[in-house]
Amino acid sequence: MADLSLQLCGVKLKNPVIPASGTFGFGREFNELYDISCLGGVATKGLTLKPRLGNPVPRIAEGKSVILNAVGLQNPGVEAFIENDLEWLKSKTRVLANVAGSTIEDYSEICARLDGLVDFVELNISCPNVKCGGMAFGIRPETIEEVTRAAKGSLKRTPLIVKLSPNVESIALNAQAAERGGADAISLVNTFTGMVIDIEKRKPLLANMTGGVSGAGIKPIAVRMVYEASRAVHIPVIGMGGICTAEDAVEFLMAGATAVQVGTHNFTDTFACPKIIAGLHDWCDRHGVSHVTSLTGALQ
Amino acid sequence: MREVTATILENIRIAENIYSLTFATEDELKVRPGQFCMVGVAGFPLRRPIAVCKAEGERITVCYQLKGGGTRALAETYKQGEKLSVLLPLGNGFYVGEQEQRVALVGGGVGIFPLISVIRAYQGKKQLFSYMGFRNRAAYCMPYELQRSDRLVVATDDGSMGYHGTSVQAFMEEIEEIKPDIILSCGPVPMLHALKKATEGRNIPVYVSLEERMGCGIGACLVCVCEKTDGAHARVCKDGPVFNINEVAL
Repeated sequence: MADLSLQLCGVKLKNPVIPASGTFGFGREFNELYDISCLGGVATKGLTLKPRLGNPVPRIAEGKSVILNAVGLQNPGVEAFIENDLEWLKSKTRVLANVAGSTIEDYSEICARLDGLVDFVELNISCPNVKCGGMAFGIRPETIEEVTRAAKGSLKRTPLIVKLSPNVESIALNAQAAERGGADAISLVNTFTGMVIDIEKRKPLLANMTGGVSGAGIKPIAVRMVYEASRAVHIPVIGMGGICTAEDAVEFLMAGATAVQVGTHNFTDTFACPKIIAGLHDWCDRHGVSHVTSLTGALQ
Repeated sequence: MREVTATILENIRIAENIYSLTFATEDELKVRPGQFCMVGVAGFPLRRPIAVCKAEGERITVCYQLKGGGTRALAETYKQGEKLSVLLPLGNGFYVGEQEQRVALVGGGVGIFPLISVIRAYQGKKQLFSYMGFRNRAAYCMPYELQRSDRLVVATDDGSMGYHGTSVQAFMEEIEEIKPDIILSCGPVPMLHALKKATEGRNIPVYVSLEERMGCGIGACLVCVCEKTDGAHARVCKDGPVFNINEVAL
């Protein structure tokens, strides 16, 4: 049986499959269906310093092979997460604490609070659904570098992953900006900004008007961006965007990813992540791959 | 809560734009009245949340309205004998306490279906007074199930059948007479509004089942929230879909 384990920024993961932020809460609900300790890690729901109520409903809509969401970072705040969920989640798997803020200071403060408590901090500078902050930091290389540097300055013990937005001019330049700012890894892609309209009512389907597009339909664009980003930097890349099967995951690994995240497909198939892990074992065995790490960037 | 691969026993039209889907799960499931399931439809990323109407051991019936592409695909392409991926049972469901003997059920449109699961669960154990509203005669369905109630009033918006008016109006005409200990309701938001207004100050607990667009259906994604009267958000799929009417800002 192939070895699916890997080292990510010096932290061992038992496999490269991680549910993506926002689709998996803090893991408790999915753990009622399967033991989430089978996962490589869990990227938590985006956390902010203070609790957030998020956007009005409807917060979700569907297109062909894609969904759009505009949850708007509803979360109980970092303190509630630390108090109620962190210890439990750590007992299960590796914790990637996804964090968001409205100001550079927010990002430093929340990183300082989580330093040493979680396995990774994943800096969300790419949420398209909040009015200030979020994606505003993730568009231009200069602000990416600045917010990354501030976050990194607060993290003495915990590696920093910077989650990049695809709604940008050059993913390669932005990836390099994160690396310059001190990121230990990058993850991409967050969702593409999109819109769907109910033509009978002549109104957008989402209360927020626009939302983040995710799901199988975005995969080729995401693979291309992971490819471009991974060639531009020397730090590990976590790839995501429309992964539904083990073969999709392999594609991202070959494009240059060290690990992958699965988001939308958790909704379509509740057991998506364990199935992808089993499928990766199968695929590696069938292709004579003894270590999954050998697939990273293995394009010929 | 489980994910099951169910076998479709029947998927038929029972009224204008309304379909009844019965499937068999591998083994018996305990489903509370008012709980729902998430039905996977091939080609659509999101499962469809649908209230359970009947649960008889491993036979589950859900009824759905044709609303968009997903429900149309469910109606047109899923035939008897085919497999269906279903997450269930989900949500909290309706609960009637031991003290509450006289139960009023006020439903409108597709909101009647979760109330049928209440009728089936408490038939013979409680006094059930049902007020069920439909757009017109063509929308009326499941008479056999509704008639399990001790009293049934059918209301239609156009007066083509039964009481001419809404189910809330029909209910309020009889509330003094039937003296319910508890009121359970499901239907469109304006109907729930009307019920809240009409029953205010009467000191009768009212529980409503809410509908919202959902992502995961199990409480993880925070997509299907409703606003509570204290300003917080509750998850319709996990904290609901049934709420005390005073707890939620309708």
